[in-house]
Amino acid sequence: MSRSLATFVDEFVFPLLCGGEVSVGPPIRPRDRDQMVLDTAPLMDPELRFARLRRAQELTADPMLDDPDLDELSLWIGLHNTLVFDHPERPRVWARATTWRRVEGATRTFLSLATPRSIADALARHLGVGAFLQLRRRDTIVTTATGDVRFCGQPVPRRRLRLSAVPQTGHREEIVRWVEHNQAPESQRLLEDAMRASPLTCLLAPRQAPAGWSPLHGESFLRDRGFARAICHAWASSPAWIEVGGTVAGALLASLPIPRTGEAKLPEPGAPLALPGAVVPTEPEAIAAVVGALIHLHFLKVLELDARLGVAAGSRDPGVQAFLAMPLLLPWLSSQLGSPLSSETVTPQGRPISRQEAQTGRRWGEYLEHLADLVPRPSIENLLAALVPRIVQTQ
Amino acid sequence: MAGPLLEPVAAGQTRFRMQGLSPDARGIAVGRELLIVFPTLERLVAFLGAYSDEASLDDLVPTMTLEHAQRHGGGHAIVLRCGAGDGYAVDRLGRLSTATRGRLYTGGGSMFVRWREREAPFGYDLVAPLTLPAGADEVTVVELDSATTYATIDRMDPLDLIQRLQLRQVPLPLGGIGSDPELAGLKDMALVLVAPGLAERTLRHLWRLEVNMAGYYVQLAGDRNPSLLLRIRHPRPRALEILYGTPGVELLAPVSSRAAVEIGFRHPIQLASASSCLPGEEMFLFRGHAGRVERLDGPPRFVDGRHLVEATGAAALREVEQLQEAELSTLRVELVLRPTTQPREPRGVLIAWPQVELLRHLVYLIPPAALSASQVVPLAEGVVVLTGTSIGARSAAAAAGLGAGSIVPLGRRLGEAAPGVMVPDGWELWPRVRPALTRQLLGLGPEDHALFIDPASAPIRVRPEQLLPLDAALIGRLALSEASLQAPAADALAPGSVENRKLSRFALWGFGGSAPAPAADSGESGMGQ
Repeated sequence: MSRSLATFVDEFVFPLLCGGEVSVGPPIRPRDRDQMVLDTAPLMDPELRFARLRRAQELTADPMLDDPDLDELSLWIGLHNTLVFDHPERPRVWARATTWRRVEGATRTFLSLATPRSIADALARHLGVGAFLQLRRRDTIVTTATGDVRFCGQPVPRRRLRLSAVPQTGHREEIVRWVEHNQAPESQRLLEDAMRASPLTCLLAPRQAPAGWSPLHGESFLRDRGFARAICHAWASSPAWIEVGGTVAGALLASLPIPRTGEAKLPEPGAPLALPGAVVPTEPEAIAAVVGALIHLHFLKVLELDARLGVAAGSRDPGVQAFLAMPLLLPWLSSQLGSPLSSETVTPQGRPISRQEAQTGRRWGEYLEHLADLVPRPSIENLLAALVPRIVQTQ
Repeated sequence: MAGPLLEPVAAGQTRFRMQGLSPDARGIAVGRELLIVFPTLERLVAFLGAYSDEASLDDLVPTMTLEHAQRHGGGHAIVLRCGAGDGYAVDRLGRLSTATRGRLYTGGGSMFVRWREREAPFGYDLVAPLTLPAGADEVTVVELDSATTYATIDRMDPLDLIQRLQLRQVPLPLGGIGSDPELAGLKDMALVLVAPGLAERTLRHLWRLEVNMAGYYVQLAGDRNPSLLLRIRHPRPRALEILYGTPGVELLAPVSSRAAVEIGFRHPIQLASASSCLPGEEMFLFRGHAGRVERLDGPPRFVDGRHLVEATGAAALREVEQLQEAELSTLRVELVLRPTTQPREPRGVLIAWPQVELLRHLVYLIPPAALSASQVVPLAEGVVVLTGTSIGARSAAAAAGLGAGSIVPLGRRLGEAAPGVMVPDGWELWPRVRPALTRQLLGLGPEDHALFIDPASAPIRVRPEQLLPLDAALIGRLALSEASLQAPAADALAPGSVENRKLSRFALWGFGGSAPAPAADSGESGMGQ
């Protein structure tokens, strides 16, 4: 009943990364994983490493990627088991609800991974989780005399086709995104766990990030030039780029550290100590990286001539308001973040800047003026009080 | 002193004391019937004529009755009764009856009240119900302060009246009807009624004039022989003048599909709007001078004019037999070349072999259109470059003569004596036969060319497959290397597709009681925990 690691890689991991039929079968038990790790040769398969490299090259041209390790294997198994909860034949399994809760607990254990130790580690996790978010499912809908019957990612039995109302044209196929049609509550809970394990995926798809997520978890990617470019362009490619930016800005403001009001006291001897938890980086450079990426998102849309703010003007979401107000903070942040445009009128080689750059500068100036008319003054003042001092620290 | 009998109807009033009155859409009290009282018959005819000019009598005739009535207390009147429509139609009747000195009343049965006027814009109603004694054929009309009763003496058939009305004379154009046929109503069609004795002569005359006519013989009431009724479409003024001035011939203008009125007369009623006044399928001819109305049996069935005339010619054509055995060989001459001074557009050039090398250098000067239109054929005498022949030209520019032969200053120029027949410059074919016959005499195919290189030598036939494009003959063959497509090493990355395999009944076997093993060997806790 247990699957070998080679079979699991061939039937699940490889199609997940490169495309194809991602086979979802019975859930993998923890003891199956223990059996799998006895022979980790399939993890070193050149085909698999090449597939991971190609998937990573969709983000950056020259990614730093380690070999698959056991954490990544646990992540894959957890993703597989997450899919099992949405299996259409789940009701026919002879098991009590308690057993299903055990399966969920085991899957959550697979997905509960430590904070990535490095960029390469986080990138490796994103390969699986990012591909998991893109999974498709081919549904077949058979029209019968009693109504439509949907076969989710399964072949239709022949007897069903014979019994359909119109045998030749009585069925149609739909290709849906699995994330959008996930019906099982266990899968939805486990999906949050999977997202929590991959901060890079949360940064690339912030609207699907779990509650309590902060962009500061992935600030190291925003400090890397290649990843920052990939993340900003992923945000800009979304039609709802204002909502994306608003989600990131809202999550950033919610995770800012509370300023200390007094001296911290040491616990009394013998008192219970707090458990160690994940520490959100709060260095000025980390916050500046996130704010800089959000301002760069504005600049990208100005370059694309796609910066239409008419719909967002009526939004009362504080995150969206903060996102729209961020370019207006540039006069205070330029000492740390710089400016999207060069303030020089000549290039370092002594030649005047091109006409296109001059046009871009004019459009960026008009955009800032438009934003100044659009954004309420209290939003800017709130950011000046709460955000700017954490980036520009004056002694 | 007796009080008024009528009172004005108020705006919005819906209940009336007089039976049969009801408000229309505008609130005007309208009865079921209308009654118009005319003092004389002439006034009635004037009313009908005016109404037919303005509207269609077909709306009025179905419900219309005409009665000759006697007034209680002395006097006679003509009473017209008809069904009432809406207020607008009744207003029109009221306006026309006022113009012809009639009085309009509305009501129903034997009681009618006055129609509305300026003082009572919504009509009149009785002040109190009247109980006047009225007989079976009596009607009572109520005025403001009096009531009058009319007793019917006799009834008139409206259709019979309309058909019996006397025609009225109208003036004709001073210059004759031929000067303005449209004024007389004869522009499109004219009907001609010919007396029996004049039928043959009239037909013969019109046939000579080539008049577009059709006709048939009709038997008029009281006549012994049938008369001829002709229909002439788009009559010419001259024919109309002759027919109008001929005694025994009457010109009639059609006023509707089944009625025609003689020229110079007019029916008091517009017959075009009174088709229901002419019952049945007969055709009516209103003759003014004769004072009669002719009712033809059935619809007219005209026969084309050529069947009505009688052919009397006796001339016959004689077939000529061809003289088969005639000998024409004495007429035959030879087709030869002879010198001429007539200039001719050069359509080709014969370049001797020693000069072909110079042609290679001149190719760079030839325009592309001329180069593509040029063809070449190698002969023993040299290379013939044909440009812009009328046969098989590959472009319009080539057919117009814009060829390399006009530009290449080499060899001997060739002109085109006939399509595809080239002769040297300064020579022509003798005798000058037709160009098509020249090709036929030379036995050329549709795409063949004939070249007269030298007056002393025989012409050369060049078939189309022997002609080579000049550009292709000059340019050396280029070898192209085949492009090779590099197949991508790997397929593009695509999102995976979930395939749910079959789950067995015991898919969760093993999840019973064992605690899940820790996932990672690292001791750190998960993010966000």
